[in-house]
Amino acid sequence: MKKINKKTLTLGLVIIAVIAMAVISFEIRSRIGFEPTPVSEEIAPQTVFTVGTVEVTTTVVNTWIMIVVLGFASYWLGKSFKVRPNMLQNAIEWLKEAIEGIISQNIDWQNTALFFPLIATLAIFIGVANLLGLLPGLRSPTPDINTPLAMALIVFVSVPYFGIKTRGLGRYLKHYVEPIFLMLPIEVASEIARTFSLSFRLFGNIMGEEIIIAILFLISPFILPVPMMLFSIFTGVLQAYIFTLLACVYIGGAVKAHQS
Amino acid sequence: MDWSTLPWDKIFVIVTVLVAGPGIIAGIAVPAIGQAIVALSGLKAISRQPEAGDRINSIVLLSLAMLESLAIYVLAVMLILVFANPMRSFILGN
Repeated sequence: MKKINKKTLTLGLVIIAVIAMAVISFEIRSRIGFEPTPVSEEIAPQTVFTVGTVEVTTTVVNTWIMIVVLGFASYWLGKSFKVRPNMLQNAIEWLKEAIEGIISQNIDWQNTALFFPLIATLAIFIGVANLLGLLPGLRSPTPDINTPLAMALIVFVSVPYFGIKTRGLGRYLKHYVEPIFLMLPIEVASEIARTFSLSFRLFGNIMGEEIIIAILFLISPFILPVPMMLFSIFTGVLQAYIFTLLACVYIGGAVKAHQS
Repeated sequence: MDWSTLPWDKIFVIVTVLVAGPGIIAGIAVPAIGQAIVALSGLKAISRQPEAGDRINSIVLLSLAMLESLAIYVLAVMLILVFANPMRSFILGN
């Protein structure tokens, strides 16, 4: 008799556990007569409480939770750093170096420290926000159009800010009319259009992912959504990377160096 | 023929679904071809000049993101059509 491989055994056990959980969940559903909520209600943010006329939705509450957790984690991690790094510190340093690499590749300016706070905040915030929906009980804030729009508006405002800071007001305004003055409306239109494209790209990707997971959840809980959720980790990280890259390219277009 | 007796709500749903299905196919197929061309050219360029890989890689990712946003626009429009059509109250009268 052949000896069963350890990996095969583990894989079989996992598959059996998943199928058992699916069968149990079907049984529970049929016993208590569970009616699945419509997909549109599952995706749309619900109002938690209202302050005056302002409705505070689940998006905002989840963002607050995320901000608090990220803030305390950064404070604690910053205090715990040592000369000889452990595993977590290695990961954080790799992340920092990766973000610095993106900045130095796309922004032609001598010190990356000027752009690092903004770009790193965008990258970490969007990355964590995309992955937040995987935790049970929490929903990710990005499928609500307001969060990506706020992110894109931050980039929209920071482009002229860095442009003026690095090149001066006159030279920054001059790049709008650089070859001829006819370029002015095209440049302004492209600045507005790319803000919307930036927000819609993030929103649409994460929203589509969430809708697919919700529809699969209606069809068969526990089996079908799992591969899609694993794929959503990849999509979320990729979207955070692309957002960071595009923000760097836009800011780099405004900075565009000092032709020496 | 009396137009007001027709089941307008059912017609509305049927037309919406009939538009959204082919629309999303058309809106995703065309950017997919464009993305395939970009990926193919990137692959060819990297295989000719492996040392320029990093630069080509980021440009390819950038163009893929740009092309993907076209498909995303179609997805957003179709989602609005299916789930939150602004014309619904106009046609059905609340």
